[in-house]
Amino acid sequence: MKKNNSLLLSTPYIIWMLLFTLIPLGVVAFYAFTDPATGEFTLENMNALSAYLPVLWESIYYALISALICLLLGYPVAYYIAHRTPAVQKFLHMLVMLPMCMSFLLRTLAWVGLLQDTGLINRFLDWIGIGALPLIRTPGAVILGMVYNYLPYMILPLYSTIVKIDGRLIEAAEDLGCNGVQTFGRVVLPLSTPGIFTGITMVFVPAVSTFYISQKLGGTDTVLIGDVIERLFKQGQNQNLGAALSLVLMALVFVCTDIMNRFGGSSDEEGGVIV
Amino acid sequence: MKRTTRILTILMFVFLYIPMAVLIVASFNTGKDLTKFEGFTLGQYAALFRDPDLLRLLGNSLLIAILSTAFSVVFGTVAAVGVHNLKPKLRKAALSLTNIPMTNPDIVTGVSLSLLFIFVGGQLLRQRESLTFWTLLIAHITFSLPYVILNVMPKLHQMDNSLTDAAMDLGCTPIQSFFKVTLPEIMPGIAAGGIMAFTMSLDDFVISYFVTGMDFVTLPVEIYTYTKKPIHPKIYAMFTLLFLLIFVLMVTMNLLQLRSDKKKKETRVKAVKPAVRVLRRVCAVVLILCIVGGCCFLLLQPKGDTITLNVYNWGMNIADGTDGTLDIIAAFEEKYPNIRVQYATYESNEVMYSKLKNGGITVDVIIPSDYMIARMIDEDMLLELNFDNIPNFRHIDEEFRNNDFDPENKYSVPYTWGTVGILYNTKYVDQADVTGWELLWNEKYADKILMIDNSRDAFGIAQYLLGYDVNTTDKAELQACADKLAEQKPVLQQYVMDQIYSIMQNEEAWIAPYYAGDSMLMMEENEDLAFYLPVDQGFNLFIDAMCIPTCCREKEAAELFIDFLCDPEISGANMDYICYASPISEAREYMEEYLAESEVIYPSSEILAAGTNYQFLPGETSRYVENLFMGVRGSVSEGSDNFGLILTLVIVAVVVVPPVLRVGKKLRKRAKKKSA
Repeated sequence: MKKNNSLLLSTPYIIWMLLFTLIPLGVVAFYAFTDPATGEFTLENMNALSAYLPVLWESIYYALISALICLLLGYPVAYYIAHRTPAVQKFLHMLVMLPMCMSFLLRTLAWVGLLQDTGLINRFLDWIGIGALPLIRTPGAVILGMVYNYLPYMILPLYSTIVKIDGRLIEAAEDLGCNGVQTFGRVVLPLSTPGIFTGITMVFVPAVSTFYISQKLGGTDTVLIGDVIERLFKQGQNQNLGAALSLVLMALVFVCTDIMNRFGGSSDEEGGVIV
Repeated sequence: MKRTTRILTILMFVFLYIPMAVLIVASFNTGKDLTKFEGFTLGQYAALFRDPDLLRLLGNSLLIAILSTAFSVVFGTVAAVGVHNLKPKLRKAALSLTNIPMTNPDIVTGVSLSLLFIFVGGQLLRQRESLTFWTLLIAHITFSLPYVILNVMPKLHQMDNSLTDAAMDLGCTPIQSFFKVTLPEIMPGIAAGGIMAFTMSLDDFVISYFVTGMDFVTLPVEIYTYTKKPIHPKIYAMFTLLFLLIFVLMVTMNLLQLRSDKKKKETRVKAVKPAVRVLRRVCAVVLILCIVGGCCFLLLQPKGDTITLNVYNWGMNIADGTDGTLDIIAAFEEKYPNIRVQYATYESNEVMYSKLKNGGITVDVIIPSDYMIARMIDEDMLLELNFDNIPNFRHIDEEFRNNDFDPENKYSVPYTWGTVGILYNTKYVDQADVTGWELLWNEKYADKILMIDNSRDAFGIAQYLLGYDVNTTDKAELQACADKLAEQKPVLQQYVMDQIYSIMQNEEAWIAPYYAGDSMLMMEENEDLAFYLPVDQGFNLFIDAMCIPTCCREKEAAELFIDFLCDPEISGANMDYICYASPISEAREYMEEYLAESEVIYPSSEILAAGTNYQFLPGETSRYVENLFMGVRGSVSEGSDNFGLILTLVIVAVVVVPPVLRVGKKLRKRAKKKSA
């Protein structure tokens, strides 16, 4: 069943993916370069995008900050999990995955309930005498929402690279006189860079394009690129401008993953998928 | 070091699970508010199983998840085997295709698929309804497939190829060798991929949100629109159950795998135990049953005699039987047993307009406001009504016929009318400050003021405040309004439509402009709220009317529905729930007395005289206003001329150049090899 059948088996799949991933992107490009009224070729939509640059920068900024915070918080956790016995590892791994199984929308709403002015945290602060703080509708709340929702995407790839690091290398480093910090800095950290870059990409991409988190946790000045696209499609009456913005977002993500792949070493062709 | 990582890990898990705990606790709450625990009850779980609408939504979500998972598991496994055996170059190409939905942001995937379906279905195939169950299924399969492929491929890599060769040497056909050797070896990958695909599909919101049409909606998409009422705790109950289900599924998976790992250590090659074989068969049977069941469900969906009527209405804008009101849709279905009403809601005229304009859906009845009706008539988006089928039109008051927006009354039948005013909390807001629309700009209440989130009403408020005509097309005036609205931004808490309910009732905000009827509903929940109409400056007086859009499929049934709602008794019962004024004066007699006499719902004629209607704005002005409003909301500045060209070049450069460079590198390498 070797070579001849392999083509037979894979062709339907390749056709499917061409039809429903590559061609739709072409359709997006088509809409981005056509006039909403006349349907003729135009650069107007692209021209109008310069107005959205501040929003784009802001989205990138929020997503990068969130990715870095995720890295700082996620690394120790991944490191800890990777150094347990296999059974415990499996269990903890599952515990990291599990929150993703509960509706993303509801979990974000739960944060609204926690953070709002009349919410749980503020009522607690009030009760112990600190008084309510402005928590929700701040940039911090948006970043918190992103970190919370996408932290598992950071922990899982980190864990899978750290767990593959050969224990003998660490022992060797220690034998050669490295202290704990040096071993970590010279052996563990460099060996886990592929995981770091995969993790950053996997947090950055959904964070830069989210609209629900910023709508629920953000204030009037935290409008992200995802919000704008959603608004253009759902009430702005301008699909073509929305398509142009989607195209830019896609190109941005393309560049980011490309850079990350390059820094993360040529990751094997399976791509860095979680699990 | 060890201890710190341990403490950090524990803290991290606490962080990850706090919101889950909040939701699970809320599912046992007798009260409706997420944050106020009033008492323990299991009643929410019982209520969940008594709510057919919720169960139907859950059924929809499960159906899509099961079908898309089953399909992508089978299709994906076959494809993975095929791709695995491809020549390296082709394999690489196939894998980069697989990576597209993985690396693309969900919103781009959703947008691209919805544009594809609308473009192919609407423009090429001339289908009226191109966003259906099937397109949703295709979308889910497309983003599920990579999970299966990417989990199965590594297992294929790990597998010893000589095993299949040995099997075939021993007389297996290729197919037999696949089932006897390959499949058991890659099973963990398939299972992991399947579970991931299932959970992703069940929880997917973003992609579904863009690809969903009118008649097949999944649970997350519906929850997104549940902004008006606080989410009912039975929804938390449902997700707690779902969560438990997945939890149990994952634990058993893990335990099974642990056991099989142990066994592998003990004896490398051993015949599969009968118990395991039985288990496998049971799994297979369950899977097949699910698929067959799903297909049957689809085929058996009410067709034939039953007509499905798609009604698209404002949120909470029809009596639904709660709080002792009449369930109007149920009453209609009882009267016309062969019609089934499929009901969906929108939160502003603009959302409804965009949904229809984007195309790809079928809607039979809509209830837009005056100015939007005028615009839709202008753009040929409405059908003329056959008033022979709407005899109850005779009950509509003379003053609500032949309105400005539909002068000959060919397209619309008035449903409600009302005003836009300011809702404020008397506990916090000084009565002396309630002098007019400028209250919404008052810095004293900074961060406690909400603003209405649709361009027409927001601009209307600025126009009343600045003393401009609300139907102006003058760009300088509109720009001045935009500036005024931008000035307001620092004192605003947020822009809202339907979310206003919980925010005002919880006293999270104190001041908001909103519609009279909805304000009345909120005032019933919180006694400190009051409604104010700035009579001196002017305010909007609106009429919402029922219309039939051109994408209608069941015009006669739609007219029956409109007629039904014009029955004075039905209209009265309806107004009891939605708290607006009926254009049928007879209906007032059937309303609860305190509502029929409320000044908020039926203001006196002197006050009404100060109100003005929004009228038709040309499409160009509407778009201009919408753009200005986008600018106000999102710190968007002016576009510039050459930017598009540069941007296009940059995009082409980043998307096309790297692959070209890569090819170039390879060619150079090859050349070097040759010369060496």
